[in-house]
Amino acid sequence: MYFGILIPLATLATVGRIFALIGLSVVTGWLLAYLCIKSRGFENVYVPLVNVLESIPVIGFLPLVLVAFVLSIPGAIGVEAAVDFLVFDAVSWNIWIGAYQAFKTVPEHLLEVSENYNFGFLRRMRYLLIPHSVPRLTSNLFASFADAFFYISVSEVFTAGAATASVCKGGVCSTFGIGTLISRYIVEGNYVGVVYSLISVGVAVVLVTLSLSWLSRWAVAKYGVDTPSVIKRHAGRWRGRIPQPWRRWRALRGQAVGFSRYAWRMRAYWHSHQRPGNHLDHGNLAKYVGYAILACVLGYLVYSSLMLVISVPEGTWYVFLQETPKLLTYVGADYLRVSVITLASLGFAIFVGYFLASHHRIGDALLPPLQAFAAFPAPTYFPLLFIATIPFIERALPFFYTEVYIFILGFLSCFYYVFFDFWIGVQAIPSEFLDVVRNHEVPFWAKMRRVILPASLPYLITGLSSTINSAWAGMAIGEYWPDIAPKVAPGGLQAPFGMMYYITYNMANGAIGPAAYVSLLFAVVVAIYGVVFTRNLMDLARKKYVIEEGIFAA
Amino acid sequence: MEFIGKAYMTYRLSRWMPVSSRLSMNLVTGQASPAHSGAEVSCEGLGFAYGSRFIFKDVSLAAFNDELIAIIGPTGTGKSTLLRALAHLIPPTTGRVLLEGKEVTKPSPAIALIHQSIATFPWMTALDNVRLALICKGVTKEEATETSEKMLDLVGLKGEEADYPKEMSGGMRQRIAIARALAASPAVLLMDEPFVHLDELTADGLRKEIYSLVFNPETSLRAAVLVSHNLHEVIQLADRVYVMKGSPAVITDEVKIDLRRPRTERDPRFLDYLDQFFNELSVKPTKV
Repeated sequence: MYFGILIPLATLATVGRIFALIGLSVVTGWLLAYLCIKSRGFENVYVPLVNVLESIPVIGFLPLVLVAFVLSIPGAIGVEAAVDFLVFDAVSWNIWIGAYQAFKTVPEHLLEVSENYNFGFLRRMRYLLIPHSVPRLTSNLFASFADAFFYISVSEVFTAGAATASVCKGGVCSTFGIGTLISRYIVEGNYVGVVYSLISVGVAVVLVTLSLSWLSRWAVAKYGVDTPSVIKRHAGRWRGRIPQPWRRWRALRGQAVGFSRYAWRMRAYWHSHQRPGNHLDHGNLAKYVGYAILACVLGYLVYSSLMLVISVPEGTWYVFLQETPKLLTYVGADYLRVSVITLASLGFAIFVGYFLASHHRIGDALLPPLQAFAAFPAPTYFPLLFIATIPFIERALPFFYTEVYIFILGFLSCFYYVFFDFWIGVQAIPSEFLDVVRNHEVPFWAKMRRVILPASLPYLITGLSSTINSAWAGMAIGEYWPDIAPKVAPGGLQAPFGMMYYITYNMANGAIGPAAYVSLLFAVVVAIYGVVFTRNLMDLARKKYVIEEGIFAA
Repeated sequence: MEFIGKAYMTYRLSRWMPVSSRLSMNLVTGQASPAHSGAEVSCEGLGFAYGSRFIFKDVSLAAFNDELIAIIGPTGTGKSTLLRALAHLIPPTTGRVLLEGKEVTKPSPAIALIHQSIATFPWMTALDNVRLALICKGVTKEEATETSEKMLDLVGLKGEEADYPKEMSGGMRQRIAIARALAASPAVLLMDEPFVHLDELTADGLRKEIYSLVFNPETSLRAAVLVSHNLHEVIQLADRVYVMKGSPAVITDEVKIDLRRPRTERDPRFLDYLDQFFNELSVKPTKV
């Protein structure tokens, strides 16, 4: 069957699902961003809310939402809605913030032109706001696509236990897509089917990466403000239209640097234009709509929280509170795992990333495959890796092998965020600074400590934040994967303890309450961490460590 | 074998080198040509190409002890690239650079470059920016601080050591860059349009100071190379001027500025030099 049309169709279904949801995120992002520039009140709630929600790993609380969808919407539509919601949640924050920042950084003279000609909502969107947001959004598409592919590969099929047994067969909900197909082949022990599916995913990833690369270059060239890129108005000679793969690969590097510079120009512009004047003052309708949506969202949040608290019996709350210290140690254990994974990713990023950034030829050769590998969802090929290595690893580390696999899956799921961000950060260091370092023969460690790391700090923080968020997702899969390889390891992969293990184990066994409670604890911890640590560090980086500010050109 | 190799290289280079360049170097012996002997810094048959396209080629020039030379030319002739090649921040495609008669094969603090864009590290104070140049020297922290303070004093930034570049004006930032370059005790200073981003008053003040600053007995400098579009600036500062133009660019003229210092633009000979350079660099209209 896998020689036939099923695997390509499933791949197409998955890719189609991703792009439909990215499209939905873009459209909603535009509308929400428009409301922000029309309504200060809406903006004041929207931006912090999105920032906090963005920093909460989607996997931590989504199992509950999935079950809620399956139970409230009957049949296959409920499962499809649950899967789509998960992917939408994975991609939307990034795109929403991108659209908002793009709308907020429209050059003032262009805004004045639109006001001068009394542009209404549609014209302003069509001729000014949307075109101005295109480069920013297209440059965000790589990350969104990689995120979406990761989540979709694990969410197309999920175990929801007894709670959903009436809706999904055996409590396992699935929808048509390559993630479901791979999972089915693994359970059946059909490894040839798994390999063909992985090849199909690989082809899709490479094609999408190339397409996004082309799209982004075109977008920056056509819609970017003050960019040196040339707008190509015609295709040129026929021979020139045949893309040579190596040229494509090579182009990715220049494009990444171009984006980073563009993004930073935008950020600099964004910081220097944060003033009330950037709000559009024409018309009150959108302003009132903004306030109305804001009131609805806040009202709903307060109401649903209240109902949730009331609906849980008092005795259950008592049990939860008694369990809290133990659950917090689970959270702590997982934070330890995340720390190890993050440190390993950081080390890889700094040494390999710097090496590739400073050796352009090797970088040109190795980065595109790495980029394609990054977009390739780890959970799809991890079972093969597990099957191939478990006999040796289990024998070598009988008490520790589970941790090794959790680490590997966590690392594969997230290392590339900090790696690519650091690489782009190093590429974006103006050559004048690197000349100074070389000219004065600054030794390697001093160079890293005093120049390279500070210069790339804003990129490093962004990358670390994404890496940490994605590490949680990898661990959520790795800590409880009972059917990873039923024939080779009947018990599967199960961590001895840990928050993600606790959530996924309880979800799989229909114990939604404890899973929901620990998810809530986790969300609170992450929100505090996000506000106190990530934002403060980012503020410091933006205040002090913006290397572009070191170049003076009056 | 080595002799044959060098002889072959000489033959290959001489096929496309102009007569003046061929006379000024001796690739077989590997020594500086007689014309450039005694130069603090010189280059012979220097060329740089992106792929197969040469930006400049056959460039031979020299700066002698206590001499400031200038390179002028139209935009896009590769003057900044030439400076970076002189500092070996980019390896030249052809030819070589000599520092005190010895070939330069890698970037060295002995040849310090000041960029056209004023580059100061925003997270370092003025003092830390200058101290960076001393890290490679193996000096103690106290010595590095002392030298850096001395250099900041020399460029007129005493009392501003703890300030960050973003708290300073463009002129002050440029002084930090100069102090950083001087702190490494270079023998040669390369300056790429050092005043281009400054307002006229600040630039004029720095121009007046730069010559005495560069050749101050407190510094180790023995020669300087200036690249500039500003012909007034060049005539005011330079002892000799190389004119560079064409595509690929070559040195088309070498002019000694025979004016006493301090130089004034009211001097008729100053204006003669100005006319001469203006004429040399102007694009001649062609008859149809």
